[in-house]
This record gives sequence, structure tokens and C-alpha cells, in this order.
Amino acid sequence: MAAAPVFMFIVFTVGVLLGSGHESQVILLPDPDGSVGVVEVSTDAGRAVLSEAGQMTKVGGLAAAPSAPVKVSEAQIEQEFSSLFTAEPPQPDKFLLYFEQNSTQLTAESKQLLPQILDSITARQAYAIGIYGHSDRTGSDEYNLKLSLQRAEAVRDLLSERNVSLQAMDVDSHGEGNPFIPTADGVAEPRNRRVEVIVR
Amino acid sequence: MRMLFCLVFFLCCAGPVLASDSVGTVKTMTGTTMVERQGELLGLTVGMSVYADDRLITKANSSLGLILKDDTTLTLGPESEMQVREFIFEPKENRFSMVLKMLKGSFLYMSGVIGKLAPESIKLETPDSTIAVRGTRLLIKVDI
Repeated sequence: MAAAPVFMFIVFTVGVLLGSGHESQVILLPDPDGSVGVVEVSTDAGRAVLSEAGQMTKVGGLAAAPSAPVKVSEAQIEQEFSSLFTAEPPQPDKFLLYFEQNSTQLTAESKQLLPQILDSITARQAYAIGIYGHSDRTGSDEYNLKLSLQRAEAVRDLLSERNVSLQAMDVDSHGEGNPFIPTADGVAEPRNRRVEVIVR
Repeated sequence: MRMLFCLVFFLCCAGPVLASDSVGTVKTMTGTTMVERQGELLGLTVGMSVYADDRLITKANSSLGLILKDDTTLTLGPESEMQVREFIFEPKENRFSMVLKMLKGSFLYMSGVIGKLAPESIKLETPDSTIAVRGTRLLIKVDI
């Protein structure tokens, strides 16, 4: 009979020692295109998987498993987190530029995109843009990296000529590591031989 | 022995230099926000760069919106703190890593290119849990 108070005492102490006093909440939201990803929340004691829009799990300390997912209404999310949605940066604008074969000369079509890039920089009051050269998976890596970097530099020069001055112009080559259309090695894919201009 | 000291000294100096690449930019800001960088507290303004190891802080009625180099967007609500523990985005070397620690407050996370190319290299941490993300958008709230 005397065991009960002792047991309760132990539970209480363990609770104080292990309970960090933190409580975290994770809520899965739909992507802007409507698709929904997957999130896995883990502690030492277990995990919860969120796979539907609006699902939420709560975590109260490392020693406790995350709660089973429950659905939170859109209205409730909007109300509680409205300041976050207001402050969220707009998704970066992305432009794909293509070149004449084995050359740093833009195609006529891509040349026409340059004014749109300038407009986007102005409209977004962009401080930073990224100019990244990409290649497909044919030819030698060395050649691909060199050509795609030269193409990125050519785009940077074209923008500089038009008096674009930004705090950060990041010019780099991603080689074949960030394809627009994923392919097997050795496959020619003209859509991957591009320069991406990302206006942030 | 002296050689060893020289080597240790050199490695200590090289560390911060190698880690000095910007990992993103401040895109939106309201109220009072700051960054703790190498032991110093600096006020943040729109357009400023963010670096690995930065601890970002927002005060009451404040917010901060970042765009990282891989196009991930991150928003901090009021009274929030987040540390950029690691950020590697090198597609040409196939090297990716993003480890963010949400210490307190509220956060809106939207995946970028790392989420598309190497989602397994993304880790979002709260004081008591780890969050694995497969290409998506989510809210995180940490009460202390």
C-alpha cells in the first residue's frame, strides 16, 4: 500500500528531470503548387509522420514521443500564424536562358528575356541574384563545367552592361549536378544546357 | 612541437575563412532583429548577408524573412531565435547539407533546391526533436 506514494514521487521527479519545459509544434502545409510533402518528427522516444495538409504533431520533451497527428483547420492556422505569412519572402523569380551550341552566345529567344530579368530586379527590389551555368550529362565534366561557367559569366556581363548593380551577384557553374530534367549519364538533353538567373 | 603549434594555429585561422561564404540574404524585416555572429550582436537590415553559425534573433512585434542560396525561404515570427548550424550547397560536387536549429518562437519553412536534390541532407532541429523534410512547406512553433 505504501508503494503508491513512492511511485508517484518517482514519476514526478522523472518528469521534472526529463521534461525540458519545451513544447514544440510542427504543422505541414501544402506547397504553393498544391502538392503536399512529407515530414517526419522524431524524439528519443518515437516519431510522427505528417503527410496531409494541416496535420500537426506536438512534442513535449525528448523523452516523450511526438503526439499522433491531428488536423488543424486552415482558419486556425491563418489566425495563429498570420504574422509569419505576411513576412514570408516571395519565392525567387527564375529565368532559363539557352545558348547556341558550344557557344556563349544567347539564342535570339533567350536574349528577349533580358528586359524581363531587369524588370524583376526592379520590381522585387532585389539585393541578390544568382547566375548559374548548367550542363547536360554528355561530354567531359571538365569541358561542361568550363563552358557553363563561361556562359554564366557572359550573362553577368550582359546584365552589367545594362547597369545592374547589386550587393551580391553570385556567378557559378553547377555542372550536371542540378538538372532541369533529370537523365542518365551520357544522355544529351538540350533543356539542361542552360543558365538560370535567380532573382532573390 | 613548434611545427605542431604552427599547424594548429594555421588550422584555427583557416576555419573562419573557409566558412565565410554567404548562405543567404535578408529579404523582409519588421521591428527589431539582430544576429549573433562570432560573439558580437549586430542589427539586421534588408539586403544583409547571412552566414553559417549565425544566430538570428527577432524581438517582440518583429519578423525576419530570409532567402537562402538554394532558394529555401525561412521566416521567423516575433520573439524567435534560430541558428544556422550548417549550410552546404555545392551541386557541382554533389555536396548538400542544411542543419537549422529552431531555439524558440515560430517559423515558416519552404524547401528550395536542396529539398529537391538531396532532401535527406536537411535537418531541422527543435530543442527536443528532429524534423526530416521531404520537399515541402511547414510551420514550426517552439515554446519555452
